[in-house]
Amino acid sequence: MSKSPIIEFKDFTFRYSSQLEPTLKNINLKIYEGEKVLILGPSGCGKSTLANCINGLIPFSYPGEIQGSCKIAGNETSHSSIFSLSSVVGTVLQDSDAQFVGLSVGGDIAYALENDNMPREEMLPRVLKSATLVGMQEFLEHVPYNLSGGQKQRVSLAGIMHEHVKILLFDEPLAALDPQMGNQAIDLIDKIQKNNNCTVIIIEHRLEDVLYRPVDRIILLEDGQIVADMSPNQLLCSNIIVEKGIREPLYLQALKMAGCNVTIDDNPCNVFEINLDKYKDQLISYYSNVDTNKPLEEKKVVLKVKNVDYSYDDNKALDNVSFSINKGDKIAVIGKNGAGKSTMAKIICGILRPDKGEVYLENVNYLNYSIKELGQKIGYVMQNPNQMLVKDIIKDEVSLGLVLNNKSEDEIEKNIKEALTKCDLWSMRNWPVSVVSYGQKKRVTIASILAMNPEIIILDEPTAGQDYRVYTEIMSFLEKLNKDFGITILFITHDMHLAIEYTDRAIVFSDGKCIGDDSVFKILSDNDIIERANLKQTSLYSLATRLKINPESFIESFIVSERRKRHEKF
Amino acid sequence: MKNFNIINLTKGKTFIHQLSGTTKVRLFAALMVYVMMSFDLPIILPLFIFSIIGLISLKPSWKTIRPIIFFVVFLNVLNIILYWLADPHCGFEYTADKTVLFAYTNYLVVTRGTLWFLLVRLLKMLTAFSTSLVFIMSITPSELAAGLTSLGFTYKLGSIVEIAFRYIPDISRDYENIAISMQCRGLELDAKKTKAIERLKQMVIILIPLIITSFDRVGNISNAMDLRGFGKGKKRSYYSEYPERRNDKIFKLIYCLIALFCAYYIISGLITPRVPKMWIYWRCL
Repeated sequence: MSKSPIIEFKDFTFRYSSQLEPTLKNINLKIYEGEKVLILGPSGCGKSTLANCINGLIPFSYPGEIQGSCKIAGNETSHSSIFSLSSVVGTVLQDSDAQFVGLSVGGDIAYALENDNMPREEMLPRVLKSATLVGMQEFLEHVPYNLSGGQKQRVSLAGIMHEHVKILLFDEPLAALDPQMGNQAIDLIDKIQKNNNCTVIIIEHRLEDVLYRPVDRIILLEDGQIVADMSPNQLLCSNIIVEKGIREPLYLQALKMAGCNVTIDDNPCNVFEINLDKYKDQLISYYSNVDTNKPLEEKKVVLKVKNVDYSYDDNKALDNVSFSINKGDKIAVIGKNGAGKSTMAKIICGILRPDKGEVYLENVNYLNYSIKELGQKIGYVMQNPNQMLVKDIIKDEVSLGLVLNNKSEDEIEKNIKEALTKCDLWSMRNWPVSVVSYGQKKRVTIASILAMNPEIIILDEPTAGQDYRVYTEIMSFLEKLNKDFGITILFITHDMHLAIEYTDRAIVFSDGKCIGDDSVFKILSDNDIIERANLKQTSLYSLATRLKINPESFIESFIVSERRKRHEKF
Repeated sequence: MKNFNIINLTKGKTFIHQLSGTTKVRLFAALMVYVMMSFDLPIILPLFIFSIIGLISLKPSWKTIRPIIFFVVFLNVLNIILYWLADPHCGFEYTADKTVLFAYTNYLVVTRGTLWFLLVRLLKMLTAFSTSLVFIMSITPSELAAGLTSLGFTYKLGSIVEIAFRYIPDISRDYENIAISMQCRGLELDAKKTKAIERLKQMVIILIPLIITSFDRVGNISNAMDLRGFGKGKKRSYYSEYPERRNDKIFKLIYCLIALFCAYYIISGLITPRVPKMWIYWRCL
């Protein structure tokens, strides 16, 4: 590693023209050639702004006021241009859909070369080389619409891997990927960095997933300031990540819960390399003493899906799917994209009706209900709240469903008051929707579904792309709804943490089939299911195998004691 | 999804598909002038035949284009009927024939000359349509962008076209998702159950979140383009634009000749106005 910094911030402060307060304050940071750095921090901490300062979007696309200096490869960015910066810094944006501007894989990889007005003959070998680097050489003719999120991201990466690029910048590379693809992405980044010896900067809040491959340094941002700049081991042993609202890796959580004090010498940044000798006995004795017996409750079946088939034209999307859902259940519906999760959700909501098989809602065949009637029994909350919000004022948004269903004035008043109170939004009922935070918007959409008094709520990726704080806010709120009001909740997700922490049962889909329907801890310790559903082993599983104890009971004990601990807190 | 509707996103395999974008755009531009400039049957009829051959050579999926063809033929027939209603003697100027074939009232008469003129007019419209259809079905948006640039338009214009095609499917998927969630909340989109005005209002409800999410996307896309040097130079090359091949050279000659002929025809027509040749057969009898 040479000692010349390729990125150097000196007393750097930046304020967006549209804001009063600076977003980045007094940043001093040096990143050296060949380093791999993770920039960590909750949403709104300024990490994306920092990235934009490096790739030149600031100040060239987002105007604002800069104090201090920011040098990239020796040049002051404010005296440079976005074009000359983009030839040094390659950026992979969070939204790989939006970054895919070409109409084919090859066309997209060539985009930067096209803008350089490079003759086509010169372009072709380069496109092929970049595509081969990311393993997409077979797909050059493909259009974007059939590619998975992971593939699109690879194409984005290939599109910036041209010659002069010295710095690769990844803005939340894991946000849109399922767990296995996330691992592959981190792996690919690692390989490319080693082969091309470039500087890599990853911006993420999912610490554990990034640490799947080693990083040299972690920079923790809060409120536009650097609060930590240290090695992963140092950071993991300090309490700073928990304080700053970053999620701790699960295996560390498990260790700490058992009372183990992990030190830097134990090499805690990887579950396979951490030194466990000292803690083995302590761990085993702690987790074998957790009382996992739960009182058995008789539960009433609300929804029963029986042998359901569904095909889009020629593609079979659901193949003989059966399961049932009890009142008050919290269930994770997991599986990779295209496995049939959303088709199943659409079937349950009645948007699609099964080709074969039946769905019973409280023992009534649901073909008797129209979509409208079903909408009052089963609520569907979309992933992106912006796609659901249509009214200006929170109260109007929440009452919309009732108005559309021609409910009486009194009933509407009563229902929205109840829903808004349940969601802690009553005091904000007259606020405009546009001014509230993401987490609050999500609550508004949930309130607007709750107002219809549904039996079941289906939430599609309720926490996608959110940091740990918002995640906790949304999830503990949902947990409360479930506990206090007995609302049955189905989570469509591929977040394993969510499944572990907040659900009791998991239904797993793969290629249109339901391949697993069991307690979360059983599913997560079943290798076959995990592989088929594109999930990944949680680090709890790896920890258990290293301790040579049964992963199933270990994960179960962890879940039980984690929940107990969480409930004590609240 | 490889293609949506009649627009190709990837280059097809047939002869016309394989021509370069520049050739297709220039040929189309020349042919449009060619078909528009006159009512001469000896000029229009060959193009009509060629365009039909071209259409068949593309091996289109008839199932998708049939409704489009029916719709356009219907509109054009309607058009000439209205044309006739507006002026039942509109063909006289061209054919100098007033022989009455049918008379409904004193005003509404069908003369031989007008009928012939309207049929020629219909043929002209259909020729323009079938030529356009061949063009649209054979070109990909990227080739169109490259072709427009070759005609001297700024490449930003072509890029707008390209980007639009790139994101139409994404936006329609968003629309579908929003529609689903609104239906679950009780919005009635069934055409049989709601009145047209009511439905229009409900469309607006769906459009609001669609516009908002699309704006979010626009910001991201423009960043992605900036970061990869879009707008860096005055010129830009195209990955999807094949270099000129033998067939392109042949067609270059063809469209140059067509363009020259059009120029001659139009200019000479301005100097000495001519009567369109409509092959009015009964005059030869």
